[in-house]
Amino acid sequence: MGLLDGRIAMVTGGSRGLGRAICRVLAREGADIAFNYLRDDDQAAAAAAEVEALGRRAWAYKVSVLDRDGLAAMVREIDERAGGIDILVNNAGFGQVVPLALMEEDDWDRMLDTHVKGAFLSTRAALRTMVRRRYGRIINVGSLAGIKMMQAPVHYATAKAALRGFTEALAKEIGRYGITVNCIAPGVLDEGVSDHLPPNRRDEYLRHCALRRLGRLDEAAEVVAFLASERNSYMNGATVVVDGGV
Amino acid sequence: MECTTCGPAPRPDRPHTFLAHEPAPCPGCAETREARVVLRDGKVFHLIFCADCGPGEAQIADDAAAYVKAFVARAEVPDGVVGDHLFKTTTSTCPGCLALVEARVVIRRGEVFFLKDCARCGPSEALVSEDAAYYARAYAFARAGTEPLAFRAAVEHGCPTDCGTCDDHEQHTCLPIIEVTDHCNLECPICIVDNQYSTHVDVATFARIIDGLVEAEGQCESVAISGGEPTSHPQILELLRIASRPEIGRVVLITNGLRLGRDRAFAEAVKATGAYVGLQLDGFTADVHEKIRGRDLVADKDAALCALKELAIPTQLIFVATLGVNDHQIGQVVDLFLSEPHFLSLNFQPVAFTGHGGGQFAHDPTRRLTIPGVIRRMEEQTGGRLRYTDFFPLPCSHPQCVSLTYLLRLNDGSHLPFARFVDFERYTTLLRSSATLPSSPDVEDALEEVIHEVFARQDEVERGPEVLAALRRSLDEMFPAQPLPAREAFRASERQSKSIFLHHYMDRHDFDLERLRKCCHHYPQADGRIMPACGFNMFHRGAARGPGTPRPSWGKAPIRLPVVG
Repeated sequence: MGLLDGRIAMVTGGSRGLGRAICRVLAREGADIAFNYLRDDDQAAAAAAEVEALGRRAWAYKVSVLDRDGLAAMVREIDERAGGIDILVNNAGFGQVVPLALMEEDDWDRMLDTHVKGAFLSTRAALRTMVRRRYGRIINVGSLAGIKMMQAPVHYATAKAALRGFTEALAKEIGRYGITVNCIAPGVLDEGVSDHLPPNRRDEYLRHCALRRLGRLDEAAEVVAFLASERNSYMNGATVVVDGGV
Repeated sequence: MECTTCGPAPRPDRPHTFLAHEPAPCPGCAETREARVVLRDGKVFHLIFCADCGPGEAQIADDAAAYVKAFVARAEVPDGVVGDHLFKTTTSTCPGCLALVEARVVIRRGEVFFLKDCARCGPSEALVSEDAAYYARAYAFARAGTEPLAFRAAVEHGCPTDCGTCDDHEQHTCLPIIEVTDHCNLECPICIVDNQYSTHVDVATFARIIDGLVEAEGQCESVAISGGEPTSHPQILELLRIASRPEIGRVVLITNGLRLGRDRAFAEAVKATGAYVGLQLDGFTADVHEKIRGRDLVADKDAALCALKELAIPTQLIFVATLGVNDHQIGQVVDLFLSEPHFLSLNFQPVAFTGHGGGQFAHDPTRRLTIPGVIRRMEEQTGGRLRYTDFFPLPCSHPQCVSLTYLLRLNDGSHLPFARFVDFERYTTLLRSSATLPSSPDVEDALEEVIHEVFARQDEVERGPEVLAALRRSLDEMFPAQPLPAREAFRASERQSKSIFLHHYMDRHDFDLERLRKCCHHYPQADGRIMPACGFNMFHRGAARGPGTPRPSWGKAPIRLPVVG
């Protein structure tokens, strides 16, 4: 028996990296998975196949987290197919290493839009069903860079810090409906947005990390699965740091 | 003990909800006395005041929710019953001699009647509600009252003789009505007071009354200035200015509008005081005015309406609904009310046959308008824009006294009753006696839930996306980036919605002591007493059956003051 048997999860940015790992772990725990992705159909198909290989249903939607109408249609279809979303993981995002001096306005907007506005739009789309059903689990994927002073791109750290505020305010606002909202703050993981991290920053991280290694995607995804489960019934508005001890 | 109206300090000494009256044995002497049925700590009690033994109480049920459910179910008429079905008993008045008598509250063909038998005058019947289902269900809306900061009378003989208000009264003053004069420029055939053309309250006395109100209540959301015709008071503007103090949210000048229509300078001066106007408007044709107000007032009312519109004075319309006289114009007044933004509320008052005029007005007490009848006519005459199901009993008064609905202003200028998107049985805190919803924590909390409910169910809710857009506009206007001064913020909140109230004042036919017990519309007196309105009209004014009606031995006559001006 899994942690999430019978649950329906929506994961944004689920075709690769941490999002894909989250899809996999949630499916292993019994949830059917709907995820969206932006570009790579092959990656999406592979992610869906991984979910299905675990015996769960998978639905992949090629829709941007900035496409309000597309998200609404996606949620409507999930409602019709599966009866409503129980779990939302706001994961969609990307990394970009660029110092402020070279950062263009477009860089800033794209980073903030994808992480923050994307989480807002996805949540708005999924929340209606949760309020109606008086149940929901929302997990936002933040970052250690959003809560600690470290060498990270300013716009990335800003966006991830915003997700922490988003988590806390939303948790306060909708807790009365039996919906919890939490955030995970992973440190540097061995795949995903850290793929393009310069070696010197990776080394610096390892020097400060008590476990002296980078995290794995599935290690962060396991925490998401716990937060999404009914085992976690009272943690709300929290940011859980998953960094190996920095 | 939570007040659902103004929310002053709760009443820690008696944290109960008053439900009804019924006869019960005194725990001391076992004599039958009238008991208050109250809900406390999830249980049900009789509170009995016995003239011989003093106060006493007895628990009668251990599950308040089940008791209320069973109480309401008493109104279900068993199959096959064709005659009168007894719902409960209460205390009313003999329409002949005004003695307090037991009334059997019976359901007859879907309506509710009082059946009384006075030892002196004989039997009588009175229609009290045209809808037994509404009447019974209203009791489920009963909510705890709130203690004023000060009472004016001790409990010595029991209700209603100790009036003023006494410590056993179940509600504080939600709406004080100050009668500042007994002069009038009309002689209305349905007048519920008893103008003697003797008194204008002097400024010092009025100021003392206001001070007393603030002392008793701390703050008042609204104070009504009435009469007689208050605009005939030579210092009415000064009185309005005195009443306009921080502890009082809204000063409402209740008027027939004659002076406002004729005297623009006066209307402008009223506007300058910041007062609101409660305009008596019972119809639109000469025959209606003649029957109700004694003469054709069509031109006068038009002039008053014109002045109020041009000066944008926040206005409450007051329509006394009388069967066979103006009940066919109910839809028309609703249309008018919804047409202009300065109309904040509409108050229907099914006519009460009491007072100098009303006590003598020709009527049949078994065939009259009651609250359900007015609501039905609203539905019929507005083509369903307002529906019967849009209205709910007001919990803070006795739930048989007032019914109301709020209407949200949508962005296209139309209005949608809150009941279409709010479950009032769940959010009773939104049912308040004020014309607009105050910005209190419990209201904000309830509204936040309502917003989420509509958000979640916007495809099912009537005009759901438009409701959400209107709620968003309301937030933007009430909480702009630059905070508004208090008065402007108050006005901004008033622009977001309108309200329709139906308040059925009582007379000698339908008087119900349990309703008086929880009355929250009070007449403050010059000597400091604060008299619940219908009790004052019935027992103290001396006009319950028209001029010269004898007062009971314990009646407290209105104080006549020296004429000024």
